[in-house]
Amino acid sequence: MTLYKLSLRNARRQARDYLIYFVTVVLAAALLYSFNALVFSQEIITLSEGMNMLPMMIAMAGVVVVGVFGWLVAYATKFMLLRRGRELGTYLLIGLENRQVARLFFLENLAVGGGALALGTVLGGLLYQAFRAITLTLFGLSYHFAFGFSFPALGLTIVCFAFIYLFALHRSRRYIRRANICELIYFDRQNEGVVIRTGRKRRWIFTVSLVLGAVGACLLMEGDAIVGVIGAGSLILFLFGFFLSSASEVPAFFDRRPARKYRGRNLLVFRTLTSKLATMGVLMAVISMIFTATLISEGTGLVFRGLFTGRAADTACFDLFISIDDPERDHGPYLDYVEKNIPVEQSVQYAVYLSGSSAVRDYLTSSISYYYFNFYQDPVLRYSDYAALRLVAGYRPVELKEGQYLFHCMTYLEEPLREYGRSLQMGEFTLKPGDVHTEHLSQSGGITNGRGYILVVPDEAVEGLAVNHRTYAARTARPVSQEQYDALHGLHNDRLDWSGPVGHVDRITTRASEETEVASQTVLIVFPLYYLALALTMTAAAILTIQQFSESERYRRQFALLQKLGMDRREMAEALRVQFAVYYALPAVPPVLIGVPFILHLARLPEPGVMVGMSSPGVIAAASLVIFFLIYAVYILLAYTSLKRNVLPA
Amino acid sequence: MLQIQNIEKYYGSRNNVTRALDRVSFDVEDGEFLAIMGASGSGKTTLLNCISTIDTISAGKILLDGVNIADLCERDLAKFRRERLGFVFQDFNLLDTLTIEENIGLALSINHQNPGTVQSRVREVAGKLGITDILSRFPYQVSGGQKQRTACARAIVAGQSLLLADEPTGALDSRSSRNLLEMMSAMNREMGVTILMVTHDAYSAGYAGRLLFLKDGRVFNELLRGDRGRAVFYHEILDVLAAMGGDISDVI
Repeated sequence: MTLYKLSLRNARRQARDYLIYFVTVVLAAALLYSFNALVFSQEIITLSEGMNMLPMMIAMAGVVVVGVFGWLVAYATKFMLLRRGRELGTYLLIGLENRQVARLFFLENLAVGGGALALGTVLGGLLYQAFRAITLTLFGLSYHFAFGFSFPALGLTIVCFAFIYLFALHRSRRYIRRANICELIYFDRQNEGVVIRTGRKRRWIFTVSLVLGAVGACLLMEGDAIVGVIGAGSLILFLFGFFLSSASEVPAFFDRRPARKYRGRNLLVFRTLTSKLATMGVLMAVISMIFTATLISEGTGLVFRGLFTGRAADTACFDLFISIDDPERDHGPYLDYVEKNIPVEQSVQYAVYLSGSSAVRDYLTSSISYYYFNFYQDPVLRYSDYAALRLVAGYRPVELKEGQYLFHCMTYLEEPLREYGRSLQMGEFTLKPGDVHTEHLSQSGGITNGRGYILVVPDEAVEGLAVNHRTYAARTARPVSQEQYDALHGLHNDRLDWSGPVGHVDRITTRASEETEVASQTVLIVFPLYYLALALTMTAAAILTIQQFSESERYRRQFALLQKLGMDRREMAEALRVQFAVYYALPAVPPVLIGVPFILHLARLPEPGVMVGMSSPGVIAAASLVIFFLIYAVYILLAYTSLKRNVLPA
Repeated sequence: MLQIQNIEKYYGSRNNVTRALDRVSFDVEDGEFLAIMGASGSGKTTLLNCISTIDTISAGKILLDGVNIADLCERDLAKFRRERLGFVFQDFNLLDTLTIEENIGLALSINHQNPGTVQSRVREVAGKLGITDILSRFPYQVSGGQKQRTACARAIVAGQSLLLADEPTGALDSRSSRNLLEMMSAMNREMGVTILMVTHDAYSAGYAGRLLFLKDGRVFNELLRGDRGRAVFYHEILDVLAAMGGDISDVI
């Protein structure tokens, strides 16, 4: 048999024995290819002006992703090399040279990598179609399946894979070329080193690490960059300290409580746990760190998505909205352009007045902690303008009863405004508070329909009130195109006096431009974050699973003994399940404890009224956990079914 | 206590049948120390596996205190093993991740005994077998002899009535072997533990009260020690082995 044939046979066996690793490498290739295909897709890049940034964003995430996959491949290759030390040592024993064995190992790993790359590219083609479909849907465009092949994307994927594999294989090759027979044959008998040996030292580190964890989590949420970095550093120290010292703290806990130790399956479970922690504490800490980064990436992605859609939902409620900062100016040039170029179905021009009092604003700033204001007096709309505005936005008409005023506000102000019971004095009119309405009405900016709220009063009550700004809103027959939007902005730029300080700035928004902006921002920010999150979860879960499979033989011996000692199969299955659950839960618990408060904090940072409904902090935290555990659960399920079949006695 | 009645065990497919046990019959009395000797492939381990219920017989009956173990369902078999049988293996079969105390306590834990009494019961048995001072250590921190004592403690800690030992001195040096066998004799003599030991070592077999020779799956001979000293019994064993011919080189 030639060396080449032996390599191929070993490669097939490796792919079978480490199926989960192989599948992960295939998925890695698929992810790399699909994102690279996005970078090289002219169809995607030209969707909007903002999408020009996509190649840079994905390239930045790609560098980290290649590093992460590189670590996975390097780890798994070294792991398999040591597991197969006896076999490789035997090759040396029967007369092969180190150089030849190194080449054999190199070739078979290259074959595995090549196979994974080929399969991954095909899968990546399909994955790209999924990303394409999501992107086009975000831009409101129709999607048609069209399987295309991107040679530049394939080229870049091959380059990435070359980096990933050649680094790992170079290390292995160097190791084999220097190894002697004895070292290879007996390597699997060596114990892993324990980093911290004494129980007292470990217990001290355990306590300090818990304190660091709590302090780090608080600092991370402070918001300040330098404090945040110190917080992240504390959390990293916590994870390492916690996982390195738990192996001593858990037995100490049970030693003080022998009755609890011997209850049910506790003995088997906690000892399996501590033996894992004693030998792979550093790895557990790294994996826990990766999971924390994953959860935060997923949560941050959802927060950004919520932020973009939340902001756009309010500003995109009119097909066309033009606000003029200076009440002395009119909409003339804009309306001329609209009349000539944009077919309008319904429109309204109106003024936003100032009530002369800040009673409502003062009430809100004193009753809720997070109200930001732009208007120094309460903003006011005439009822007739408000009714027309509702018509333009497509909302049902509302009634203003005699002697009353209405509130139109963002949802987060609804409750306090319903409780506001004070009358409004406007000239000779004394108005009582009426109903509160909360549909989107462009209320999140400086020259919009109020900041969060606006008062709607009878037309005659605004007589004599100061005008804050003038606004035009329209419902168009067709969405306003990018060219039309750019032309309106051009008019705005023409009106600005560039010689001195910029004074009045008009606000022009269209539903179409807002939706395009949301789509671009989502693709630019959320896609790379999820790219990173997927790569991180897959890598960490694959390494945990490889480690678990390496223990198959020990598990098999353990359950064979337990069978002889009289444990029935149901109890053994339960013990395995608990051991398994604890093993996989352990590195996931700190990320949940760190990640969830962080995501909740992050989701509360944007201005009020944006992160609501499906984007509310609680929903985002829950959705991040669901996404994270869905991917993780696939690995856990695969590993559990395989291990159960292999280690439980028949 | 234990009655083995005409048991047979076949392995393999229709065209290639191996008869591992061929109409084997014998009884083990309560409190007896019985050894079974034979060369490699004679069927010793198969016999022990069948008695310990981790393997099934093809024909015959195994009765423990009158109960036919073939009639028990899987769950009852597990209960039977944990309550009635104790095991000592050649390679100790201790769990590396558990301390010596926990390895012994594991048998009680599996037996669903009151968790509050486990530690005291373990210490009581460890005291009798002289391993109290190593209870907090892990198996890799103690000698082979101490590991085998731990296995013996685990085999009797839950009040099991029959101790099954499979080549218990196989992985020990001569001094540790002698210590272990003397301890097993003491367990049999002073604690009334019934022992069934499989071995191919004539020296180990000399510690038993009765000895069965197994050859090609059948009981070939039986020796009773009676009132004779261990040295005399040992020489008698060697004589029988000599009579068995070529197998002698395999069994000493």
